[in-house]
Amino acid sequence: MLHVDNLTVCYGQMQALRGVSMEVSPGEMVALIGGNGAGKTTLLNTISGLVPPAAGTLSWEGRPLNSLSPDRICREGIVQVPEGRKLFPAMTVEENLIMGAYLPTVRKQRQESLRKVYDIFPRLADRRRQLAGSLSGGEQQMAALGRALMARPRLLMLDEPSLGLSPKAAVEIFATIRRLNKEGLSVLLVSQEVLETLAITVHGYVLENGVVAMKGPSAELREDPQVKMSYLGL
Amino acid sequence: MDAVLIIQSLISGIMMGMVYALLSVGFSLTWGVMHVIHISHAAFGLLGAYLAYSLLEYFGMDPVVSAAVSVPLLFIVACGVYQLLIKPITKAKEVIVASMILTFGLAIILENVMVLIWKADPRVLTPTYASGALIVGPFYFQYPHLVGFGLSIVGITAIYLFLKKTYTGMAVRAAWQQPEAAQLYGVNLYRISMITFALAVSTAGAGGISLALLNSFEPHSHNLWLIYLFLVVIVGGVGNVIGTAIAGLLIGVITGLAMAFLPYQWVNLVTFGLLMIFLIFRPHGLFKQGV
Ligand SMILES: Nc1ncnc2c1ncn2[C@@H]1O[C@H](COP(=O)(O)OP(=O)(O)OP(=O)(O)O)[C@@H](O)[C@H]1O
Ligand SMILES: [Mg+2]
Repeated sequence: MLHVDNLTVCYGQMQALRGVSMEVSPGEMVALIGGNGAGKTTLLNTISGLVPPAAGTLSWEGRPLNSLSPDRICREGIVQVPEGRKLFPAMTVEENLIMGAYLPTVRKQRQESLRKVYDIFPRLADRRRQLAGSLSGGEQQMAALGRALMARPRLLMLDEPSLGLSPKAAVEIFATIRRLNKEGLSVLLVSQEVLETLAITVHGYVLENGVVAMKGPSAELREDPQVKMSYLGL
Repeated sequence: MDAVLIIQSLISGIMMGMVYALLSVGFSLTWGVMHVIHISHAAFGLLGAYLAYSLLEYFGMDPVVSAAVSVPLLFIVACGVYQLLIKPITKAKEVIVASMILTFGLAIILENVMVLIWKADPRVLTPTYASGALIVGPFYFQYPHLVGFGLSIVGITAIYLFLKKTYTGMAVRAAWQQPEAAQLYGVNLYRISMITFALAVSTAGAGGISLALLNSFEPHSHNLWLIYLFLVVIVGGVGNVIGTAIAGLLIGVITGLAMAFLPYQWVNLVTFGLLMIFLIFRPHGLFKQGV
């Protein structure tokens, strides 16, 4: 469904990604792991159209994605939950969610989407009138995920959803992501929780210094001595 | 001092202040949302006043009626100005500085155009009810002042409801609070910037018309208005509509009282003195920033 082919991305002189290729198939959950500064966020932002590629192609269901603006990408159903959540802090929880359904294509269904999100996260329903900036870390991640669901994604890309969360909140978020995937949503999951991530995904990619260092079924990656040493501390 | 005079000048100050607020709210938004300090904002407001003047003189249109024509017209003009001048510089590294220099030039051009078209003489708006007044007990309110005050309340309320209740208004707030996330959910920042800018210029026009109902004006009046814009926005908090309204009222009341009780040459001294004191002690204003 999503194909990234030989992608190179530069920030000025610095190459953040060099010849990266990867794919996500329909209904699949794919892991993207790698150390700090490996280029994971850059890859998601390039897919989302926030960062222009220097070379290579992106395609979605056989059609090219290159040079589409972020709103067009979102319209295609490729939706990102950004690193650090990036909620609108001076807006209420509900306003944040409503903003997720900004595009005309999903705007009409926003009441129905809102009910679904409140169903998944009853805590958000209790806090609907609270400013997003005053939520706890776990609640903020719920709101960020909820906002993305409001955009009716077909591919959900999550950038370190468990960052800064308590172990309990992290488990909850992963369980929710997993459930969404079971219901048919394709997921591209960036995470530093390598063990957890490789346990719930089918395929995985290991990014190092802007290149794909390893890829394969998650179960195999988990047993790989290289991965064990670098990312699992074993 | 007598109580009637104090109350009368308080009420005049509130009226004046509401007009300052309407004139400033757009300035505050372009600054907050786009990081553009729009120096020609007040000159566009003045253009609104002159349009009202001509539409009244030549077509007999009441300023409130003609606002329904000139405000949308300013919106369209502002969209063009955004595309031609503002959009290119929002890609600059120092947007704030670049925008100030550019729009300073634009203000000078606008001023000269206004001199060419309307001459340098002071003008006043004289609608049919210009000499009428509402008298309540010992108090005295000229009709044009009441109309200008009413227009500014409508303007401020409209912009507030736009930001809170419409999807586009929410997108303006989202773009200010978290531009990257706003883009991820489909907000086109250029489109939102254009709407913000054009809306700001339109409210400047409405504010200019309101102010012209209270005071006389001439082609260089915008320079003084601009100082008030800075004062109101700095006190009210950049991008904060409610803060702008309160700051406008506050400054209106202070200048209103100063005008009533101090020699004329002291009024601006008090006003600008306030601005300086504010910059020193509360560089972020009385209220928090943000839309
Ligand atoms: N806007 C930017 N301008 C310049 N360089 C950048 C920018 N964003 C990222 N980089 C650089 O690109 C490289 C990849 O960064 P990226 O944020 O994609 O890594 P990451 O894998 O997401 O890291 P982390 O795990 O810390 O989030 C880093 O060296 C980073 O310093
Ligand atoms: Mg990252």
